[in-house]
Amino acid sequence: MIRWFARTGWRHLIGVLAVVVAIFPLVFVLSASLNPSGTLTGSNELFSDTTDAHYRELFDDPLHPFGRWFLNSMAVGLATAIGSVFLGACAGYAFSRFRFRGRGAGLTTLLLVQMFPQLLAYVALFLLLSSFDDVFPAIGLGSRLGLVMIYLGGALGVNTYLMKGFFDTVPRDLDEAARIDGASHAQVFFRIVLPLVAPVLAVVALLSFVATLNDFVIASLVLNDPDKQTLAVGLYHFISYGVGRNWGVFAAGVLIAALPVLVLFQFLQRFIVGGLTAGAVKN
Amino acid sequence: MRPRLLLPAVLAAATLLATACGGGGGDKGDDKTAPPASAPAAGNGSLTVWADDARAKPLQDIAAAFTRDKGVKIKVVQKGLGEIRDDFVSQAPTGQGPDVVVGPHDWLGKLVHNGVLAPLELGDRAAAFSPVALEAMRYEGRTYGLPYAVDSIALLRNTDLAPQAPASFDELLATGRRLVEQGRAELPVAVPVDAKSGSPYHLYPLQTSFGCRVFGTKPDGAYDQAKLELDSPGCQRFGPWLRGLGKDGVLSTSLTADIATDAFLKGKTPFLLAGPWDAATFRAAHVPFAVDPVPSVDGSPARPFVGVQGFFVGAKSANPILAQDFVLNYLSTPQAQRALYDTGGRVPATTAVLEQVGNDPVVAGFARAAQAGLPTPNLPAMDSVWADWGLTQLAIIQGHGDPGELTSAMAGRIRAKIVAG
Amino acid sequence: MTQIPPTQPPHTPPGRRPTADPGHPPARRGLVGLAVRIVLLAVVDALAVYGLLALAAQHKWAMFGALLVGTVAVNVIYAGKRHVPAKYLAPGVVLLLVYQVYVVFYTGFAAFTNYGDGHNSDKPDAVAAILAHSETRVPDSPVRPATVVARGDRVGLLVTLPDRGVRLGWAGHPLEPVADPVYDSAGRAIAAPGWHRLSYAQIASRQKEISELRVPASEDPNSGSLRTADGISAAAYRSTLDYDRGADTITDRGTGKVYRPTSDGVFAADDGTRLSPGWKVFVGLDNFETILTDRDIRGPFLGVLVWTFVFAGISVAVPFAIGLVLAAVLDGKRLRGHRIYRSLIMLPYAFPAFLAALVWQGLLNTDYGYVNVSLLDGAHIAWLTDPWLARLSVLAVNVWISFPYMFLICTGALQAIPAEVTEAARIDGAGRGQILRHVKLPLLLTAVTPMLIATFAFNFNNFNVIYMLTGGGPKDPDAPIEVGSTDLLISLVYKLAFGGSNRQYGMACAVSILIFVVVAAISVVGLRRSRAFEES
Repeated sequence: MIRWFARTGWRHLIGVLAVVVAIFPLVFVLSASLNPSGTLTGSNELFSDTTDAHYRELFDDPLHPFGRWFLNSMAVGLATAIGSVFLGACAGYAFSRFRFRGRGAGLTTLLLVQMFPQLLAYVALFLLLSSFDDVFPAIGLGSRLGLVMIYLGGALGVNTYLMKGFFDTVPRDLDEAARIDGASHAQVFFRIVLPLVAPVLAVVALLSFVATLNDFVIASLVLNDPDKQTLAVGLYHFISYGVGRNWGVFAAGVLIAALPVLVLFQFLQRFIVGGLTAGAVKN
Repeated sequence: MRPRLLLPAVLAAATLLATACGGGGGDKGDDKTAPPASAPAAGNGSLTVWADDARAKPLQDIAAAFTRDKGVKIKVVQKGLGEIRDDFVSQAPTGQGPDVVVGPHDWLGKLVHNGVLAPLELGDRAAAFSPVALEAMRYEGRTYGLPYAVDSIALLRNTDLAPQAPASFDELLATGRRLVEQGRAELPVAVPVDAKSGSPYHLYPLQTSFGCRVFGTKPDGAYDQAKLELDSPGCQRFGPWLRGLGKDGVLSTSLTADIATDAFLKGKTPFLLAGPWDAATFRAAHVPFAVDPVPSVDGSPARPFVGVQGFFVGAKSANPILAQDFVLNYLSTPQAQRALYDTGGRVPATTAVLEQVGNDPVVAGFARAAQAGLPTPNLPAMDSVWADWGLTQLAIIQGHGDPGELTSAMAGRIRAKIVAG
Repeated sequence: MTQIPPTQPPHTPPGRRPTADPGHPPARRGLVGLAVRIVLLAVVDALAVYGLLALAAQHKWAMFGALLVGTVAVNVIYAGKRHVPAKYLAPGVVLLLVYQVYVVFYTGFAAFTNYGDGHNSDKPDAVAAILAHSETRVPDSPVRPATVVARGDRVGLLVTLPDRGVRLGWAGHPLEPVADPVYDSAGRAIAAPGWHRLSYAQIASRQKEISELRVPASEDPNSGSLRTADGISAAAYRSTLDYDRGADTITDRGTGKVYRPTSDGVFAADDGTRLSPGWKVFVGLDNFETILTDRDIRGPFLGVLVWTFVFAGISVAVPFAIGLVLAAVLDGKRLRGHRIYRSLIMLPYAFPAFLAALVWQGLLNTDYGYVNVSLLDGAHIAWLTDPWLARLSVLAVNVWISFPYMFLICTGALQAIPAEVTEAARIDGAGRGQILRHVKLPLLLTAVTPMLIATFAFNFNNFNVIYMLTGGGPKDPDAPIEVGSTDLLISLVYKLAFGGSNRQYGMACAVSILIFVVVAAISVVGLRRSRAFEES
């Protein structure tokens, strides 16, 4: 018993502790989503009274096309995740493997631009998108593609850094060897280096997916048609200041919205963890 | 496994890249399915209306009638009430803003000050509205909005716990305390206080019953921002009284609006200060309640803020005629006003609709409460007034500092901000 | 109108050919790659040409130039075999320039203007608003049924008077009786000889023209002009103000007072009275000067700055430490249920941060919150209203929000360390702990340091958590301005710029720029120290 604890038991202890800390506020939200009163903080007796009314309301009300919001969020989130992985990996690879003029300055600039306080960005972005409207309505106001573009433009800095850091941990001997075997820089990138950092790609993809799903400010600026809105924007109406605040429906919606992240995480865990890297090195 | 993950990723990214490098996607984007909705409303006979969640629903029915009659599409966009005003101000100058917005009259100052509203000429339609609603929609002598509802705070009373309406606030407190002592209630009265921004709106009827108003008025009855009265002798008496309530635990900065509402819903308190928007919840839950005007504390009448909800037309709307036609000739009809009432349950601004629904005790109660009220100031300076006012209330309730000094310091800060502009 | 700062072309530097490239890729792969490249470039160029034509047609030359330069750059980069690093950087850089750099430039530009309440748009908009505001209905003039009619290009108003007389007029041509009007069933005139009624769709397509139509009510200018707001009725209006386009002055018809444009973007008379609204103008360094000389800002600045650093530092260090420990502890593949642990620990991250802050605000409520009532058995701890406890709570909540993120990053980083590296160390006889400390940790830090710096910068400006949780409070009641114990620099800016009676957007931009300079300087120093630029 003591040996079990010393070897793995303590890991379980820490794991359980972390899980409790992580989910206890969420249990509270789950309780609120089932509580008929529609308040979030008014009741401390968890699960004292339950109803599925809030969940039904989510799907019944034509003014709140929850299903559409869900699909929009998935589409925008996946496009952003895939796009930012690709852009970040390309840029990170360039900074990690090539030596070119302006490399150091470019890296610093990337990071600095990222640090600009975004609090005021919405006015500038609105003007930008409204000027696109006349020429490229597909990426103008109200367009989901336009929203993805904004996210991709904003994702480069952090992702590039993250990716560059990981590319740096991949021994250069590997790609040098491939080069000598006659592979082009693109082949080295796609066939040797990218598979090696698959865990990071999965992490970055998940990070951008979640960040996209949670973004409310920019999404509500761009998407003004209820049918095109994302979950965060749509659900926020339930609790925005003023009348008709309905925390119950909101909590129900947020919990459902968190499901895809969990599923995606389950799926990506295989890439993040689990022996892939060991095999890839021998490739 | 790996190649399968990567290939779609690369393909998708390449597509995005292709569109990005062109500086735009032309018509090849993912919006092919719904081109009309994504096009901007540039005089093309389609109106955009911004409304919050509570108003969007009835508006859609009225909009459908307009579309049927005139062939004009109306897009009702739901936005948070908190965002509508500021987003309208920043987006209207580009010409991409909404044609019509729905909101309370106290936005007027800020909207007119920024030049984003078109004046409205109600003409003969004005006769249909209650005078207080019409007056609220005027700013510097011009009418800017079509009213539809009149809101104010009233006293909601659980008739099982307190069968009689209290004649004064002291009587209310006595009843409430007795019920708490008897174990029939947990709170003598629930007054919602926001822990971050205080509660000037909910406390205003109590404050005015000390004769403490926020602004004095000009000869024509409009508020005068040069006459801040928040440190008048009445206000100096109100401060210590408020401190006393905080000390006794009657008022608490922990009692946020949702907790207060929940307490009344569950019968944990006999009295609640609330607006009409919460009444529907209590009805649905079959809480036995009556609505009365807030009783006076100190002799002078308790006068809550009256907020008039209405429709406004943007100054740079690409559809000036359609927007005015929709607001003046569709939203003003008794049917439309009735539909807005049916969903929102707010006191109608149209006298005819009020007569139709006036035998409803809840509506009648809120209507009586609003009669005693004073319009919420629509001065542009109100933003800074609310913030300082609320924070000072929090300090007084929590017992930080001397109420008199806090009140004077607050008035000084607000005056300085108004002068600075 | 919208002003777009000149967008810079992607300035990717020319790359050197990697020395190790022998330049003999297998022929088949080369062909496929070439084909893909050509197709993609063709698509890009086709879209670009479309865009250029559209922009030229609309005379948007700034955007035209930016697109042209961008297209040429993309072609140069991808057409040839050179510029290899640029090939990898171009897509991201283009998006970065359009969506990020533009924002920075715009903010920098706005910092030198008086953009804000009362100065919200350009001068023509301000003049239009002032004139519309001054136009009032002639007293006692009735609203009459009216029909919008047209003859050729000209639109006019056909007005049915109560006494059944019908009048017609158009711009500059006062109303006069109509001989043979056509009536509808309701007795309303709908057409006159030579004039036909506009259908609703026609009215809709000529709205601007019709809403600007002013028909003199009679030869007497004091009787006002008829206009229609809704296309079916008309009334007489009189304007109290006149705008003289040539002299650029506004004159009050009644008093004769003349308003002239001033350098701060309003029309003002000699006696100081001003017309509202004003418009945006450049004010030079005024905003920066106000910030640097304002006593109210300098007073609390130091305290807020220190707290901002503490907040951002702890918000990075503690979640990172927790995340690292958890990642290491749950790393073992032998650990049963490690997947479940990971999934559950990830949960807070799947939850929108602004909602998390709101939920915590409820949980930490002094008298009714779950933490005090249920977990602490009815304690009355003022988690969010006592200055020090509020700081602690804000930090704790932010740690809760961000530790899953750090956990995820650390897990990914640990897994990405090539197995051969640890394998080699194990063969050399290193134990698990030694491998972790001496092999994995240094590699991990190399990988995540830049990310930690970025997280620091994010938390430095983490407005949302503060705003949702405490609103910056609790506020010291004696402080001259509205600054609370948990206010960060960014929320202080927000209150300063938007907490007055006018929202001052230009001022907010100026403070943002100053904060940016501070954070950027710190980050550059931090980066140098962390040796993140070390050439590996």
